[in-house]
Amino acid sequence: MSGERSAVGGEASARRSTGASRFGWLLDPKLLTVALGSLLVIGAAGFVQVSFGTYSMTVGEAWRAVFDPAVLLDPRWLLNFLLGEELMRTVTGFRGELPSLSHGTLIVWNIRLPRVLVGIIVGMNLGVSGAIFQAVTRNELASPFILGVSSGAGLLILLTLVVFGGLSAFLPLVAALGGSVAFLIVYAIAWKNGTSPVRLVLAGVIVGTVFGSLQTALFFFADDIAVGQSAIQWTTGSLTGTDWAQVRLALPWTVVAVLLSIAGSRQLNLLLLGEQTAKSLGMSIERVRFALSGVAVLAASASIAVAGIVSFVGLIVPHVVRNLVGSDYKRVIVGCLFVGPALMVAADVGARLGMSALTGADAQVPVGIVTGLVGGPYFLYLMRRRQHMGEL
Amino acid sequence: MSTERVNATDSDGSSGANETGGADGRRAATGATDLDAEGLVLGYPDAPEPVVDGASIAAEPGSATALVGPNGSGKSTLLKGLATQIAPEEGSVFLDGRDVHSMDTKALARKLGLLSQESTSPNSITVEDLVYHGRYPHRGFFDSVTDEDECAVNDAIELAGCGHLRDRDVGSLSGGQKQLAWIAMALAQDTDVLLLDEPTTFLDLHHQMEVMEIIETLRDESDVTVVVVLHDIEQAARLADRMIALKDGEVRARGPPSKVVTEDLLAEVFRVDAEVVATESGPRVTPLRARHE
Repeated sequence: MSGERSAVGGEASARRSTGASRFGWLLDPKLLTVALGSLLVIGAAGFVQVSFGTYSMTVGEAWRAVFDPAVLLDPRWLLNFLLGEELMRTVTGFRGELPSLSHGTLIVWNIRLPRVLVGIIVGMNLGVSGAIFQAVTRNELASPFILGVSSGAGLLILLTLVVFGGLSAFLPLVAALGGSVAFLIVYAIAWKNGTSPVRLVLAGVIVGTVFGSLQTALFFFADDIAVGQSAIQWTTGSLTGTDWAQVRLALPWTVVAVLLSIAGSRQLNLLLLGEQTAKSLGMSIERVRFALSGVAVLAASASIAVAGIVSFVGLIVPHVVRNLVGSDYKRVIVGCLFVGPALMVAADVGARLGMSALTGADAQVPVGIVTGLVGGPYFLYLMRRRQHMGEL
Repeated sequence: MSTERVNATDSDGSSGANETGGADGRRAATGATDLDAEGLVLGYPDAPEPVVDGASIAAEPGSATALVGPNGSGKSTLLKGLATQIAPEEGSVFLDGRDVHSMDTKALARKLGLLSQESTSPNSITVEDLVYHGRYPHRGFFDSVTDEDECAVNDAIELAGCGHLRDRDVGSLSGGQKQLAWIAMALAQDTDVLLLDEPTTFLDLHHQMEVMEIIETLRDESDVTVVVVLHDIEQAARLADRMIALKDGEVRARGPPSKVVTEDLLAEVFRVDAEVVATESGPRVTPLRARHE
C-alpha cells in the first residue's frame, strides 16, 4: 500500500514541479496569448498615437523620432524624461545645456510618447485595482470605484476647483487623497464586528450617493465655464495634456501596487473560496481584506492622480481577463497588467483623434467617454451570453 | 477501547506522518490531540437567545465523535464555535489544553480544520488547485510549494479517492464529486483535529459511502481526532466511537452509540417513535411515526 502510494506521489510531484515551479505558471499558453495580443494592440495604438496629430509628420518621420539615437543613446535625455530635470542633474552631475533635438523628436518625446505611457500606467492600475476589488467584494460588478473612491476623489476635485482655487497645483494629490479618505469612511461605516462584502458594497453606495450629491451641488457654484470644463475632464477621466510629469508621479506607486497585488494573489484566491473556508484555513480575513483593499485604492488613486476618474476600465478588464485565462488570480492579475493598458491606449486613440477623424473638428474628448461607450455594449454582450452575472 | 485503538494505530500513524512529511514530530511525541469545550454559550448577533447554551463536550483523542440532533438543535453552531468561526459569549475551547481563541489563526489552522456545510468556489479552478489551498496555513507569505506540500496534497487526493478528478474544473463536477474535492482540501490541511459539518447531506448513496469510508479510514488508521455532524443516526452510530445528542442547544446524551441510540432518546430528542434493533453493524433504527405532543 505504502509503495503504491509513494509511486503515485512521485509521478504527480514530478508533474507538479515541472508545471508549477515558482514562475512556471507564467508560461500558461492562454496567459501568453493574452499578453501577446495585448502587446500587439498597445503597439498598434501607440503607433497611431505617435504618428498622427496636429503637427503633421509622415509615419516614417514619427518613427524615426521615436527611435532617435540622440535620445535613446543619451542617458541624460532619458533620465531627464524619467526623473525630471533636477534629479537628472543631481544623478549625472551634468550642468550644461542638454544637446538640442530635432523638432519632430521633441514633439514625439515630449507630447505623444508620454501620453501613451500614461495610458499604459493608468490601464495597469485600473485593471489590477478592479480585479482586487472584485475578489474582495466577491462581486464581479465591482470596480475600483465601488468603495467610494471615485465619489471622494470627485468631491475633492470639485471643492479644489470651485472653493480652494489656490490648491489647484496639487489637484492630483488632492484627488487621490479624497479617494482614500472616502474609502476609509466606507470601511468605518461597514464595520460592525468585522465587515462583509455586502456591507462594504452597501456602505460604498451610501457614501457614493452623498458625495455625488455634494459634487453636483458644487457644480452650481462654478461660475466660470473653464472651471466647469476642467471639472468635467477630471471627473470623466482624460489623458489630454499628460506628459512626463504624470509618468513620474504615477510610476513609483504603480510599481508598488503591482508588486503587492501579485504578492497578494494567493490571498485573493483564498478569498474567492468564501469567508468560512478562508477562516478555517487560518486567514485573518479582516486584516487581509483591508490590506488588499488598501493596495487596490493605492492603484486607483495613482490612476486618478494622473487621469482623473476613468470609468469602466477597472470593471471590464478583469472580466475580459477572467474569461480568457480562468479564475486563478495570479494569472488574472498578470493578465490585467496587459489587457488594461491595451484597452486604455486603444480608447485614447479614439479620444484624441476620433473627433477630428469623424467631424474634422480639432477637438479631443475625455478618454473616459470612450471607455464608457466601449464598456456599455461589452457588458450588454456579457449579459446576453451568460446566465449568471454578479457573484464570483 | 479507544486507548487500544490509539496504541494499535500508533505505528501506522507515525509512518503516515513521515510520509506526509509532518516532520515536527508532534504526533509521535504527544499522540493524538484532544479537543475540549467547556460551558460554551454561542449565539448570533441578531438572535436574542443563544443557539448553544452551555455545552461542554470532549472529543476523545484519535477517535471519531458524532454530533446528532434535530434541525436547529445547534449542531452546526457548536461546530463553528469549536473552530473559532463564532466567538463564544461564555466558555472556552481547548486544544490540547490551550485556549483556541488565544492561538494565532494560522497556527490554529495547522491543528484544527473545519469543512463547512456549504462551500463555494470559482467554477474554473481545478481540483488539484483547490486541494493546494488546503496548504495555506503551512505556507508563509512568500513561500512557494514545498515537497511537503506536494506529499500532503497527493495523500489527501488519494485518501479522498478523487485522483481521477485531479485536473477537472470544480464547476464541472457533480455534488458528490465536489464534496470529495472539498474533503481532500480539508485533508491536505493536515490537521490533528478535523471538524466536518454534515459531509454526507445531499449526496447520493455512493458518495455518502465514499465519505463514510474516508472518515472510517481516518478513525482507524490515523491519529486525527474527528468530530462530525450527521443527520443520519444510523450512519453516525456506525461511524462514531462516541455520539453526542443535542437538542435546543443542550447536550441530552453522550456515550458510545449503543448507549445513545435508544428508543427513549429518539422519542425525546428527535420526537419520533422508532424501533431500535441492535445488529452486528451497530443499531438499526426504523422510524415509525412522528410524535405530536
